[in-house]
Amino acid sequence: MSSLWLLTKKSLKVLIRSKSSALIVIFAPLLIILVLGLAYNTNERFGLNIGVYAPSFTDDVNSFVSILQEDEFTIIPYDSSIEQCVDDIRSGLVHTCISLPSSLKVEDNNPKDIVFYVDPSRVNLVWMVQETVKGKFELRSQTIREELSQNILTKLMTTKDGIAAQNSLLSSVKEQQNSFSASTEAVKQQLSTLDLTLPESSYSTESVDTIKSSINSSHEKIGEALDSLDSLNISSGQKADIKDALEKAQEELSSSLTLVEGNASSSVLGIIAILEQDLASARVKLQAAAERTANSQTILETASGEIAQTLEQLNSISDGLGKLQQNIESQQVTEAGTIASPLNTKIEKVSTEGTYLSYLFPALLILVVMFSSLALGTTLVMVEKNSPAFIRNFFLPIKKVTFIASIYFTNLILILIQIAVILLISLFFLSDSIAAFPTVAFILFVAASVFTFLGMVVGYIFKSEETGILASISLGSLLLFISGLILPLEGIAPLLRGLVSLNPFVIAEGMVREVFIFGAPFTNIWIDLLILISYAVALFLIILIIESFLHDHLVERMIRHHREKQQRPK
Amino acid sequence: MEFIQLKEVSKSFGRKTIIQDVNLTIKDGEIWGVLGNSGSGKTTLLNLLSGFLQPSVGEIGYFSRIDNQPKNLYTNFHKIKRHIGFTPQHSAIYPKLTVKENLLHFGQLYGLKKETIIENAKSLLHFTGLYEDRDKIADHLSEGMRKRLDIMCSLIHKPRILFLDEPTANLGPIAERDVLALIEAVNAQGVTVVMASHNLENVERVCTKFAIIKDGKLRSYQMLDELQRPFLKDNVSINIKTSKEKDQLIAIAKKLPVSRIVDQGNQLVLDSVDPGKTMSKLLDSIESEGLYLHDLDVRKPTLREIFEKIVEDKE
Repeated sequence: MSSLWLLTKKSLKVLIRSKSSALIVIFAPLLIILVLGLAYNTNERFGLNIGVYAPSFTDDVNSFVSILQEDEFTIIPYDSSIEQCVDDIRSGLVHTCISLPSSLKVEDNNPKDIVFYVDPSRVNLVWMVQETVKGKFELRSQTIREELSQNILTKLMTTKDGIAAQNSLLSSVKEQQNSFSASTEAVKQQLSTLDLTLPESSYSTESVDTIKSSINSSHEKIGEALDSLDSLNISSGQKADIKDALEKAQEELSSSLTLVEGNASSSVLGIIAILEQDLASARVKLQAAAERTANSQTILETASGEIAQTLEQLNSISDGLGKLQQNIESQQVTEAGTIASPLNTKIEKVSTEGTYLSYLFPALLILVVMFSSLALGTTLVMVEKNSPAFIRNFFLPIKKVTFIASIYFTNLILILIQIAVILLISLFFLSDSIAAFPTVAFILFVAASVFTFLGMVVGYIFKSEETGILASISLGSLLLFISGLILPLEGIAPLLRGLVSLNPFVIAEGMVREVFIFGAPFTNIWIDLLILISYAVALFLIILIIESFLHDHLVERMIRHHREKQQRPK
Repeated sequence: MEFIQLKEVSKSFGRKTIIQDVNLTIKDGEIWGVLGNSGSGKTTLLNLLSGFLQPSVGEIGYFSRIDNQPKNLYTNFHKIKRHIGFTPQHSAIYPKLTVKENLLHFGQLYGLKKETIIENAKSLLHFTGLYEDRDKIADHLSEGMRKRLDIMCSLIHKPRILFLDEPTANLGPIAERDVLALIEAVNAQGVTVVMASHNLENVERVCTKFAIIKDGKLRSYQMLDELQRPFLKDNVSINIKTSKEKDQLIAIAKKLPVSRIVDQGNQLVLDSVDPGKTMSKLLDSIESEGLYLHDLDVRKPTLREIFEKIVEDKE
């Protein structure tokens, strides 16, 4: 156990006494955490630049813009065209563009379209934009939903009041109808009791007496005719015939007289007597009917009045219902979908539709270039520094700059081979982007130069290869963490945000993205390219300074190092 | 002809002074041995002489063959580089390159024409006996061969001066012999040689001039004869080969005017300040005590003895 502790103690001492190792092993993770902590230890809102386009900046649009500004988003208004804003996304000036309608008020069943333009290659930013900015729209949407719902509720309340009013009218109509029904029932009953059967009546018999006297007279005249017939100078045959005819007529007159004068009810006088009776009865009944009709008329007059009143009320109800209908019809938003989602948010990608690989490809390229260049730069410097022949460099009639450049070119050749391989392989997946490859290759060349020099600086500063590699990996990780690839750069504290945007990884990745995804021309990226080139030049000068500054130290260290190596048992 | 001259040169790393007030002149064609204990500053002196380090104090002058006027070695180092060959203690070669590739690489970096490089390389390969091994990877060579390659790389551009730091360190006896022979041969070609070494015998064998450094101070830089001269007067060694009576002889020697008695087993070495008197008294005592004496001789001190004396005496 004691030997274990002794060995551990020794290892710790060795580590701590090697200053650079201790520094990098112990402080590098702390430094990374410190830098990231400082960077992301902020509760301030994301530093998003939001482009807002609207055909006209009405109060409605401005109120929404002010909501966004409450969260310290930088709002850049675009009133000419959305395309200008989209171009600014491509060049990285704006993180997202929002195309708004002039008014956010929903007036029909069509929800208002709000279009977000995002750069799909910045996957994490897209989500962040969606989550944060869409939240704002959700708030606005909520307000609109409430307005719409309130509107509907108001209409429902109005309708309810209207229906209550119509309901009381209907009750009244109902009562009137009941009354009318009772009246008609009464009329019905009255009319049903009317007896309209014709009674038998007695009639005047004077005419019958006249007929009787006429018949008697005719009978007597026929007798006379018969008496006179013999005196006629006519044949007996003729006399007989006339006599027969007259006798028959006499007989018929006798029977007619019987019919008129007889006691039988079927005689004319009997019939008339019956008719007289009937008529008397009918007179009584008609009198009663006349009375009832008069009553019914009164009832019907009352009913008619009630009907008029009912009609009036029904008209009133009809008017009321018409108004209610009008009120309901005035509700323009009738679709549940529109009420639920009055603002329709759409996400538009500012680049052509591609796979995730095409979006991630720029970052992947720079990632590979960064880590390869950093590690190779450090390794090559370390290999050269720790090479037994390193001391000869001081005696060679070669300028320091040539040695530095040689390491740089060695590194560059290896990196360019890697880049060529990566680009060739990527041709299989991203053949559409072949036109961008030359510019991308040039950017990668410059980026590789920067990272190589950075790796070389690390190589010159640190003593052992392991420490140097660890330092370069730590540096790469730091650059990666503050690149926006893992955590959005926009989430960094505002004070550091500007500084971090100068991260060569960010600049290089931005350029490759612009060229590769958006097909931006060279003129769009030349400033960034110039910044990267100036980094490379600055780092090269730093290497020269470090190399000169550390010359004696390096010599002394190298002599000691090699002596120790020589004395080490084989 | 003077080649390099150090005037009151000191070199410090931080607060630690490694070399202090050194004055030294190296002439063309000389072969110098820089001696010193570990940490005495001999490698630093070599680095200063070679222009590898800048002196903290003092000046190192370089005499060009054109005007024979001293120029600051360090500030004119870029012009003088072509005349300097430096072989450090460790092998300063690329172990993954072949013998020939190493030579061509350094030759080309010295800006020599390809034909000249090939000619020089060929000549050096024959000279060092590595011609047959020219295509071997340096890492696969023996220590001695690697050292020879190392020296070749320092000579590919035909320098005026060759600095060697511990050229025989970690070498076997045969390799050591070959390397020393090579150094002698190089010097014979007219190349000035300055070598720092622990191995005093090797230095004594090869070098004609010596600079002994202790604690950063240069103690002596004469030729061997000059170096021995002061010690001949006061530090002649009397070697007595004894058998059984060593203790008695030591007791006798202690009564004699000797500065030091070194017991070397079957031999006693007496450093006498007055060799004549010592010899006389010693012989008288031996005779009177009836002791048997195997052998007795008086000789000049070796470089090692001088070195030890210098170092110890001044301590």
